[in-house]
Amino acid sequence: MAEPGDLDGLPQATVVPRKRGRISVIWIIPILAAVVAIGIAVQRIRSEGPTIEIVFSAAEGIEAGKTLVKYKDVVIGRVTNVELTNDFAKVRVTAKIAKHAAGLMVEDARFWIVQPTVSLSGISGLGTLLSGNYIGFGPGKAAQSQSYFNGLDVAPVITEERGGQFALRANDLGSLEIGSPVYYRRLPVGQVIAYELAPDGNTVQVKIFIKAPYDTYVYPETRFWNASGVDVSVGADGVNVRTESLVALLVGGLAFDVPPFEPPSGPAAANTVFTLYNDRTAAMKAPDAIARRYVLHFKESLRGLAVGAPVTFLGLPAGEVTSVGLEFDAAKANVRPRVVITYFPERLMTYASAKADARSSDAVPPDEQKRRDLLRRLVAERGVLLKRLVEERGLRGQLRSGSLLTGQLYVSFDFHPNAPKAKVDMSQEEPELPVVPGTLVELEDKLSRVVDKIDKMPLEAIGNNIKKDLESLDQTLKAADKLISDADVKLLPQLRTSLEDLHRTLGAVERAVNSADTSLLGSNAPAQQELREALQEFARAARSLRILTDQLERQPSSVIRGKTEPTSGGR
Amino acid sequence: MSAAGVSAARVGLVSCTTCRLLSRPADKANPGRCPRCGAVLVWRRRHSLQYTWALVIAAAICYVPANVLPVLSTTALGSTESDTIMGGVIFLYASGSWPLALIVLVASVMIPLGKLLVLGYLLVTVQRGSVENSHNRTRVYELVEFIGRWSMLDVFVDAFVVALVQLQPLMSVEPGLGVVFFMVVVVLTMLAAQCFDPRLIWDAAAQRQAHHG
Repeated sequence: MAEPGDLDGLPQATVVPRKRGRISVIWIIPILAAVVAIGIAVQRIRSEGPTIEIVFSAAEGIEAGKTLVKYKDVVIGRVTNVELTNDFAKVRVTAKIAKHAAGLMVEDARFWIVQPTVSLSGISGLGTLLSGNYIGFGPGKAAQSQSYFNGLDVAPVITEERGGQFALRANDLGSLEIGSPVYYRRLPVGQVIAYELAPDGNTVQVKIFIKAPYDTYVYPETRFWNASGVDVSVGADGVNVRTESLVALLVGGLAFDVPPFEPPSGPAAANTVFTLYNDRTAAMKAPDAIARRYVLHFKESLRGLAVGAPVTFLGLPAGEVTSVGLEFDAAKANVRPRVVITYFPERLMTYASAKADARSSDAVPPDEQKRRDLLRRLVAERGVLLKRLVEERGLRGQLRSGSLLTGQLYVSFDFHPNAPKAKVDMSQEEPELPVVPGTLVELEDKLSRVVDKIDKMPLEAIGNNIKKDLESLDQTLKAADKLISDADVKLLPQLRTSLEDLHRTLGAVERAVNSADTSLLGSNAPAQQELREALQEFARAARSLRILTDQLERQPSSVIRGKTEPTSGGR
Repeated sequence: MSAAGVSAARVGLVSCTTCRLLSRPADKANPGRCPRCGAVLVWRRRHSLQYTWALVIAAAICYVPANVLPVLSTTALGSTESDTIMGGVIFLYASGSWPLALIVLVASVMIPLGKLLVLGYLLVTVQRGSVENSHNRTRVYELVEFIGRWSMLDVFVDAFVVALVQLQPLMSVEPGLGVVFFMVVVVLTMLAAQCFDPRLIWDAAAQRQAHHG
């Protein structure tokens, strides 16, 4: 071992110069910055949804970078660019959709511009007043994703709610518009979502949406009618004003129900096409498949009888007038009014059957099938029955005034047992039913007959006769007067002698009575005695009366003031 | 210019980086402290170029998100709008206040970018041993260092606006992520400028002088 002081032999440490370019810790900073920046970038890119293009006809209130795309009020995207299409006809809106909503961008997704709308049926899009217009979104059901869409010009009313769509065929649109309510038992259950003219241009197809669960109340038998506005009808049955609700009154609407005579089967399939009737009455009419036409030949004016006027049977509506015209009878060279009515024997028979049911008390509640069978049988016998009613019971048609105000007429069938006999030929295509003159006409007729008779009276002669009669009456009265004065002069003396005779007779009677008094009763008879006492009493009374009379003669004022001096004799 | 060819280090002197006093170092390896201001004396800043490069690159990286990400998101009446720096400039210009737009553009976009470019230029020239324009390069460096502290304009505006505009239901302003990156850019460029040793600009000239002289 070397001694401790000898350290020179130790090897010298070498100084290794620091390697130039040795990587310093400082590089962590840029690496960190890069990692953070790249991280943010990656996150941004990953959260980036698809970019879509929507073509609108106008970009009302849409601003790049501001306008949002919203679905259920959740922002799912933002408009990044707005520009005109290449042909300058439309507007191409580019929007960036959030990643979480990327799955919604499918083929049949819909876009529309939401803006504040104030209409009679409500205010919508109020939020846009503050935030500006936005692009509404309705999801589609397709699976194929898409990035190019055609925007809707009008916001669809229904976007996603469950329910059913149905189509209505109407003659015209009436006062309907998109959003018009649909009522079921006055409950708003749906809306009009679209309408279009049928390809042939003859009808309008209205698409409606019925919210669940009300869509299950739409049956194949359901009738739809227009509840638009006020339905004022002036008919023979008076003035009818009908409306579904105030909103319907203002903006129009639809209503539906199942007619009572048709029991509903299962719910109707979606997109079933229904007929849209003009009003409830039309919708609720029973199908007139077995309606038969009859001809009526009235002899009076048909003014006020319109096509569609009701035909009643005992006051119940059972048909309507289908044509009003004139018929030229070549044989007689005569023109007479000819009214063709559609008479619904089914209705007639329904009432008849009801009567029959009431009569036959054993059929308490005939079940549906039985009732229908009976009805069918009765309908088959309708001709026979109607013929019998006309020929045996005197069923006659008559024009009646439905309303004196409007002068509308209707045809009424009632029993007129006194009407002349008539025959019905049921074998004809349009059998003629007998008529009787209308009530008003009848009245007019009678009145005119009365007036005619009055007219024929010899009123002048009657007047002259009366005058003569009156003169002779005057003379008679004068004669009577004379007679009475004659009687005065000639009869009175005789009357006097008669009275004197009577007086004498009475004296004799008195005497007879007096004698009877003494002879029959006697002075000691109690009655006699009482009579005497009474007479004495009477004599006293007469005396008092005399005293009073004297007193009154002397002092007439004593009646009021009393006696001035005491006198003898009491009262 | 001939006097400029001799660097202090070559003749065994060291200049203070803080107060610029030229003094004799205490020791060759460890120059000690400045006799006037007490700052630690260094011959040349250690790893000056490497540090500066690292910071410049980091700042350059951060400059991208600072400009791409929104610095402010304004929520007014339910609609939220996010603005980037450039977006703000464009908005100001479009709304007619072009002087403000110019200020924001210069302070927030051009100055940070200019700083990065200048530092990059200085680093490249120093590494290549360039001797041209040494004077100008020094002046540009001093400008960069001076300007550094004024670059937080955007950050201040942001801070003020966010603090002031908080009318909750009607309007509110939230800072965006961009402002953080912007701040990082400013800080990093300041640090980079500090890490850069301007004496390196002249070292190349001195070396060349020594070779020729």
